[in-house]
Amino acid sequence: MEFNKVRELLDRYWDGASTLEEEEALRVFFNTERDDLPADLKDVQPLFGYFAAEADIPEPVFPDIELLIAQSQPQGVVRTMAWHHWMKYAAVVLMAVGIGYAAQRFESRHEQVLAERSIEADTYDDPEEAFAMTQKALALLSRNLNKGTSQVQKLSYFNEATDKLKAN
Amino acid sequence: MSLSIFLSQVVPVRQKLYRFAYRLLENEDDAMDVTQDALLKVWQQQEKMSDLQNMEAWCMRIVRNLALDKLKARKYRRAEDLDKATALPAVHQESPHTVAEKQDVMNRVHRIIGALPEKYRTIIQLRDIEGYSYQEIADALAIELSEVKINLHRARKTVREQLQKLQVYGV
Repeated sequence: MEFNKVRELLDRYWDGASTLEEEEALRVFFNTERDDLPADLKDVQPLFGYFAAEADIPEPVFPDIELLIAQSQPQGVVRTMAWHHWMKYAAVVLMAVGIGYAAQRFESRHEQVLAERSIEADTYDDPEEAFAMTQKALALLSRNLNKGTSQVQKLSYFNEATDKLKAN
Repeated sequence: MSLSIFLSQVVPVRQKLYRFAYRLLENEDDAMDVTQDALLKVWQQQEKMSDLQNMEAWCMRIVRNLALDKLKARKYRRAEDLDKATALPAVHQESPHTVAEKQDVMNRVHRIIGALPEKYRTIIQLRDIEGYSYQEIADALAIELSEVKINLHRARKTVREQLQKLQVYGV
């Protein structure tokens, strides 16, 4: 390829107007060893040399993609026998026993409290009957109290007699 | 999408995807990881495949996104490394002149390309190294055809200016 033609292609290249074929022609031209390259083209040569060198990337060995996909899948559900969960069942039974025992304790305690309360409960439903019984009880109390007062009266007689004797 | 369709349509472009990832990451292991992750992602989103017009471009977009994520993560790691490196004695550091002398022409061009903004660099790599058409690049990067042309023109212009600097000043 003539140098002028190369310069023309280069101008199109710098302007971003070159086609892929023209750019390939430039790559081939600049990657061919030449001793007679003019200075202006020599300046550009490293760029196309770089492009050619960079195109040779060593191809790596890829791992098996199917294996990779299989590994990325979520793991299947592992089926286990029902008796494998014996600890869960044991825990449920223990909790049931505990709750039952607690309920039973509560029940008996509740009954005890109710019994205690029943002692303090009213003995008469009819207020008049209750009043009459209260009066009766107070009358009994009063009678007994009067008995005591009469005995104390006797004692006061004795005191008075003693005082008179002392005075004489 | 059945496994057979996946194996016949997606897996054959794996090499292309790897090359694309390698261009972005410049590391074989990272490129391999990204390629595998992208393939798995495609497989996991297989229900989308029937709606796609350009399956290869879609795969490329996934690779690009994954690679950019990896680059971002690597950037943080590099920043940490640089912080640690500042503690090293100055005697281990070579002068910029010595470093420049050691680099050959290819490395200088590599640096010029590598210094381009990510979009410019990707477009120039896809076009000038991989030989993709404008439409293929537009589909892969999910941008307009005109944007591809404009960015490619700007990228080449920048490379040309840098090459001229290299010739004139040797830097």
